[in-house]
Amino acid sequence: MNITINVKVNGVKYSNTVEPRLLLVHYLRDVLRLTGTHIGCDTSNCGACTIHLNGMATKSCTLLAVQADGMEITTIEGLAKDDQLHPLQEAFRECHGLQCGFCTPGMIMTAADLLQHNPNPNEEEIRTALEGNLCRCTGYHNIVKAVEFAATKMKKEVAV
Amino acid sequence: MSTNGLIGKSVKRVEDKRFITGRGKYTDDIILPGQTYAAFLRSPFAHAKILEITTEAAKAMPGVIAIYTGEDLREVNGVPCGWQVNFKDGTTMKEPKHPLLAVDKVRHVGEAVAIVIADTREHAVDAAEAIMVDYEDLSCVIDPLKAAQPGAPLVHDDVPGNVCFDWNLGNPPGEVDEALKNSAHVTTLEFVNQRLVPNAIEPRSYNSSYDEANDRYTLYTSTQNPHLIRLLMCAFVLGIPEHKVRVVGPDVGGGFGSKIFHYTEEALLTWCSRKTRRPVKWTATRSESFVTDAHGRDHVTKAEMGFDNEGRITALRVKTYANLGAYLSTFGSCVPTYLHGTLMQGLYTTPKINIDVTAVFSHSTPVDAYRGAGRPEATYLLERLIDLGAQELNIDPAELRFKNFIPPFDGVNQPGYQTQVALQYDSGNYEGVLKKGLEMAGYENFRNEQKANSNGKLIGIGISTYIEACGIAPSAVVGSLGARAGLYEVGQVRVQPTGKVSVYTGAHSHGQGHETTFAQVVADKLGIPMDDVEIIHGDSEAVAFGMGTYGSRSLAVGGSAIVKSIEKIIEKGKKIVAHKLEASADDIEFANGKFTVKGTDKSMGFGDVALTAYVPHVYPKDLEPGLDFSSFYDPANFTYPFGCHIAIVEVEKATGKVQLKRFIAVDDVGNVINPMIVEGQIHGGVVQGVGQALFEGADYDENGQLTNASYMDYCMPRADDLPMIETGSQVTPCPHNPLGVKGAGEAGCIGSTPAVVNAVLDALWKGGYTVKDIPMPLTSERVWKAMQ
Amino acid sequence: MDENVLARLVPGISRLERTGDNTFASTLAIKLGPVSGSFNGSLELEELKEPESFVLKVQQKSSIGNAASAIKIKLSPVNEQQTEMEFNGVVKLSGLLASMGQRVVGGVSGTLTKQFFSNLESELERKQSAST
Repeated sequence: MNITINVKVNGVKYSNTVEPRLLLVHYLRDVLRLTGTHIGCDTSNCGACTIHLNGMATKSCTLLAVQADGMEITTIEGLAKDDQLHPLQEAFRECHGLQCGFCTPGMIMTAADLLQHNPNPNEEEIRTALEGNLCRCTGYHNIVKAVEFAATKMKKEVAV
Repeated sequence: MSTNGLIGKSVKRVEDKRFITGRGKYTDDIILPGQTYAAFLRSPFAHAKILEITTEAAKAMPGVIAIYTGEDLREVNGVPCGWQVNFKDGTTMKEPKHPLLAVDKVRHVGEAVAIVIADTREHAVDAAEAIMVDYEDLSCVIDPLKAAQPGAPLVHDDVPGNVCFDWNLGNPPGEVDEALKNSAHVTTLEFVNQRLVPNAIEPRSYNSSYDEANDRYTLYTSTQNPHLIRLLMCAFVLGIPEHKVRVVGPDVGGGFGSKIFHYTEEALLTWCSRKTRRPVKWTATRSESFVTDAHGRDHVTKAEMGFDNEGRITALRVKTYANLGAYLSTFGSCVPTYLHGTLMQGLYTTPKINIDVTAVFSHSTPVDAYRGAGRPEATYLLERLIDLGAQELNIDPAELRFKNFIPPFDGVNQPGYQTQVALQYDSGNYEGVLKKGLEMAGYENFRNEQKANSNGKLIGIGISTYIEACGIAPSAVVGSLGARAGLYEVGQVRVQPTGKVSVYTGAHSHGQGHETTFAQVVADKLGIPMDDVEIIHGDSEAVAFGMGTYGSRSLAVGGSAIVKSIEKIIEKGKKIVAHKLEASADDIEFANGKFTVKGTDKSMGFGDVALTAYVPHVYPKDLEPGLDFSSFYDPANFTYPFGCHIAIVEVEKATGKVQLKRFIAVDDVGNVINPMIVEGQIHGGVVQGVGQALFEGADYDENGQLTNASYMDYCMPRADDLPMIETGSQVTPCPHNPLGVKGAGEAGCIGSTPAVVNAVLDALWKGGYTVKDIPMPLTSERVWKAMQ
Repeated sequence: MDENVLARLVPGISRLERTGDNTFASTLAIKLGPVSGSFNGSLELEELKEPESFVLKVQQKSSIGNAASAIKIKLSPVNEQQTEMEFNGVVKLSGLLASMGQRVVGGVSGTLTKQFFSNLESELERKQSAST
């Protein structure tokens, strides 16, 4: 028995009829074709599928599409506003915070959540916030730097 | 010839834009018209007879298009091994068939037994679960030592004693025995280099389609080397014509070796796409990845190092049992031999060396190259022995290294260094990196602090100095050693009529940043803006032929091929300009993107020359139009990057918990094109090496079950486990390639593991504990136990 | 052996059918930490020495892996009212069960054992109240 859901993704309203067992991440990737959200595991440990659900960083493999009914979702594709990259997106490029790019969308979404709640995190706080996101390429070094860089940049923007 | 200073600059990566905005295109992102999905039924047993497979119920399930079992593929070849190693007596290694689907027997947990093709992923999985298989569970063996014992359960009936081959390299064993006997001291270490799971975050993914009207195949695959996959799949497995097959490696989410190999699923999906006339896609779940991606390491070794009264190394004798898993993977045979045994010289002047390797099959996932491949195992062996030797001889481990280093040589004024184990090093300054590393670490201060330390904290410092053989590889050399392929690379530089440049390389970027580094080289050499250069890779239809990316080879081999083509372009450009400006080609100079007649102000820009080549109205009579060159570069030798890694750790007495406090990496990778990217490679490599030392390891139980086959159980290094990595560099150019580069992809992973383990042991030794070895990973439990 | 009683005693059993003198076909629903599934298979009583001991052989198959176990159960009378029950067994897991469930097997088997005994207690109480 399929169920109809209504969601707003990256500012656009969608109404789709889905199988009750469809995971949110598969809905985003296969139904909406927003393939920036990645799947790296099947135990909700890697964080590659992290999105914002009603503004909160959420691993989109941990819930069903039907559970997101009525909610607002932001994926990596919706993070840049009016072609203006999010400071974290810029920072990841600036600091070489990515190599193969596969964990990057999830990393950025998690980091964005961190900076919303803690605009001035120290290294330890950044590392703790990112421990639910796995990266096999960077050794996290430049990812931590990128988050620090973005935090500084966002503070400056607020100050202006 | 460097003209606009791009070489050596930390240029930001051009590929990043698509990745940070979620527009990368990985294989699983691709959905083709008429797409179908595959799911596998895999063996839950390590070793069992397949008595019966019942697929009727599954076939009747919704959406199912086809189900195939091993029986349907009895006549299809298995996947081949790319490197032939011979037994010591000269006979060929044992190469049992590695079938696309198990026939009659399964030999490791996760081996594919049946494939279901359905209209959706969910339907395919549902039907796979409905297939009934009757197994007769048989006894199994996982440990390589036990597998080689008489009476061990056989993996393949036609491989007696489970031995794939035995192999020996170096000085005659008798001479080494003699040298050890005459040594003042012999340090002996028996240890395990544990099995690792590579764990690229993108799981393997394939999408294969067949166009019946044109009899053409297209395979999208998460691979590090599309051409190699095409060659192996067409010529060895399916027997389909190579020119009818296009293999594309689009964006690939990390490889670390595990995506070099030709996997059974690639060929099987291609076979199925023709059978069903539909595109077939499969993406591994992480649970599948754990038991089907080729694993790394898994050596059991006994090593003895002799010293004279002065602390100089007199001899090295090594015996290694290497676990190959249930089947020979693509390069499974060369990793423990030609990528491991040949590195036993290390950085030292050891006069007598012999290594003996027995490679055995076991009922486990196949083992192959994983970042470093053989060289981390060799480095771990040598660097652990040196430190243990220093402890036993009561010499400082840094001093013992200085005593034994090969003196500096540049490979130009001084010849390369001939090792006892076949290789000839190109250039090196080993004292240099250790000196720099000690300085960065504040070694003397640390030692004083350690001595003065009275509050009971255990602190330790560990050194590792490593060398690796990269820039793989001179074809003639590897051919004589058993490689079944050449290891050159192609580089095509196509100048468009407007002067924009498309570059086609057979190297493949899956995180290394070739689109940036290679563009820097081309833009620098041609004196044009980087924006005017695009690097195209990963598509067998676009690129002539290439061997792909592994063994830190892309820039040293692939970059050199591009440079060769650039030289041809400049050469031809000079002829065009000479004709147009009525001068002799010998009098034309090229610099900063401009061709100039020597000693005059007559010149032509690069763009004008390109346009002239394609609109050849005023043009030399005997010159072809166009400005497009392709070159193959076959290196003269391996390259030999080296370095010094130093770890500082704190060990908690009460719990045995190891905290990595600092990590210093000084790497000499030859000339550097983009320091930012090289540092990034080092960071990532170091953390993978730290992962092996402290966290990771595949745990098989006695029934052959991999008991930590998920991210809940397999401990991957996480952001909060690590400090910032302090990097330093030294440059000793490679004397034999045009860029002077050596390669940086694996260095971090090779140097770091023994540095961390040595640091932990140093902490224990200085704290008064007598312990020779703690098996990796050095978990709290193991360290604590060692302290009791 | 009364299969209806056995079905009530063994936690997770949803179906138990006698297929021979001492063999049964069963369906079990079990959750092991992150993995749960429905198992189909057989129960077999071997070395049956009524009333003191028997070996319960269980072979179960499911999409998440297989389980094979042999549990020796020994009953010895302590006095008129009390019987001591001793059990000892080996379980072999495979597939997803082994790779992802192994970590929690100890805990789950403890819970299931407790459940078995509390089921047994209530069964005995039921019998007792029925007989009085």
